[in-house]
Amino acid sequence: MHELSLASEVIKLAQYEADKNKARSVGEITIEVGNMCGVEAEPFQSALGLLSEGTILENAFLNIVRIKGKGICISCEHEFEMNQRMDTCPKCGSFPAEIRGGNEFRVVSLLIED
Amino acid sequence: MCETCGCGNNDEFKIHDPHQTPGHSSDNAHEHDHGHVHNREHLHEHDHYGIHSHNHSHDEGHIHSHEHSHQKVINLNIDILSANNITAGMNRRFFEGRKVLCLNMVSSPGSGKTMILEKTINNLSTSRKVYVIEGDQQTILDAERIEKAGAPAIQINTGSGCHLDAQMVESAIKKLDIETNSILFIENVGNLVCPAMFDLGESKRVVVISVTEGEDKPLKYPYMFQTSHLCIINKSDLIPYVDFRTEEVIKHARSVNPGLEFLSVSAKSGEGMNLWYDWILKQS
Repeated sequence: MHELSLASEVIKLAQYEADKNKARSVGEITIEVGNMCGVEAEPFQSALGLLSEGTILENAFLNIVRIKGKGICISCEHEFEMNQRMDTCPKCGSFPAEIRGGNEFRVVSLLIED
Repeated sequence: MCETCGCGNNDEFKIHDPHQTPGHSSDNAHEHDHGHVHNREHLHEHDHYGIHSHNHSHDEGHIHSHEHSHQKVINLNIDILSANNITAGMNRRFFEGRKVLCLNMVSSPGSGKTMILEKTINNLSTSRKVYVIEGDQQTILDAERIEKAGAPAIQINTGSGCHLDAQMVESAIKKLDIETNSILFIENVGNLVCPAMFDLGESKRVVVISVTEGEDKPLKYPYMFQTSHLCIINKSDLIPYVDFRTEEVIKHARSVNPGLEFLSVSAKSGEGMNLWYDWILKQS
C-alpha cells in the first residue's frame, strides 16, 4: 500500500502550504493522477480519506483529475493514447513506446479559507 | 509521534542497529494510531474498489461557493514524490562523495536476496568494506543473518509499509559509519510493486527473480523491471526440476527494458556467482 505513504505526503504538503498562507482550513485540494504514474487513484483516495481525520484536510473536498497516458512509438513515431506501459502502437504494432504523458502525480492547487 | 520509538505518524518505521541495545525490540508491542476508519462524505465518497471510473472534470468538485471573500486558490503544481526525491538526491550525493557503490536489491519475497548477500559478503569483504541496510515489515532476522556473514547491518522495519523510502535510508546511513570506497547493499522489502516508485539514492537497482517464479513476471510487474539495471535469475540449480525457460524471462524483461543486463546464478551452489562479483566490482 504505497498509497498510504503517498497520502501522508499530501497531508504534510497541504499543512505546510496552509501554514505558510495562514489558512484556517482547506476547502478543496486538486490532485492530478496520470494513468502511467504507478498510483491507483481509488486506493489513494481511500488512504487520504483514512489519514485526513484531524488534519488540515479533514473537511476538504478531493478533486482528482485523471491524466491520460500518451506515448510515441519508437519505430514509426506515431503518437497515441496509452492506458498502460505495455500498450503497443495501434498503427504498426511495435513496442515499446516512449512515454510522453501520464506520469503526473502532483498537487495542483489548494482552495484555502482564512 | 510515537513516544516509544519517536517515529512519526504514518512513518512508522523502526531502525535496529544490532550492535547497540535497541530502544525497543521488534516484539515490544506498542501501537501506533494510524488513521481511524471514519465515514466521510468528502474525501471518502466513492466505492474505492468499485468498477466505475473516476473521470472527474475540473469543475466537478466545485460544490462550495467560491464567492466568499476569504477563500483563495493557491496554485502549487508540486510533485507528491518530491520530498522523497529530494532526500534520494542527497543520499546519492553522499554516496558519490564517499565513492560508495549503493545497490538497491528488489524482488518478490523468497527470491533469495538474503542468501545472495550472505555469499557476496563472504566473497567481497576481504577486499572491500561491505554494509547492508535490511528492509522488512517485521523482525531483525535478516540483519542477524547478515551480521553473522560478517557485514555491519541496520534493519529497518517498515511496520505496515510495503517499501523503503529515501528518508528511511537516510536515517539508516546516519547510523552506519560508512567508509569511503565501500559497498552498501539495500535489501528492499520483498515486493515487486511499490519499491519501484521510490528512489532511495542508489547507484544501481538490481531486480532478483528466481526460477521457481513465473516467466511472465516482467510483463506482470513492468515498473520494477523497467527501473532496474541488472536482473539476477537466482536458484539456477533448480532449473532441471521446474518449467522455467531462462530465455523466455529474458525476452519478456527486454521487451519492457531493452537495456537490462542479466546474470543467471545459484547463490546456494555458487554457480554464476563470480560473474555477479565481477559485475559489482565493475560498477565501482
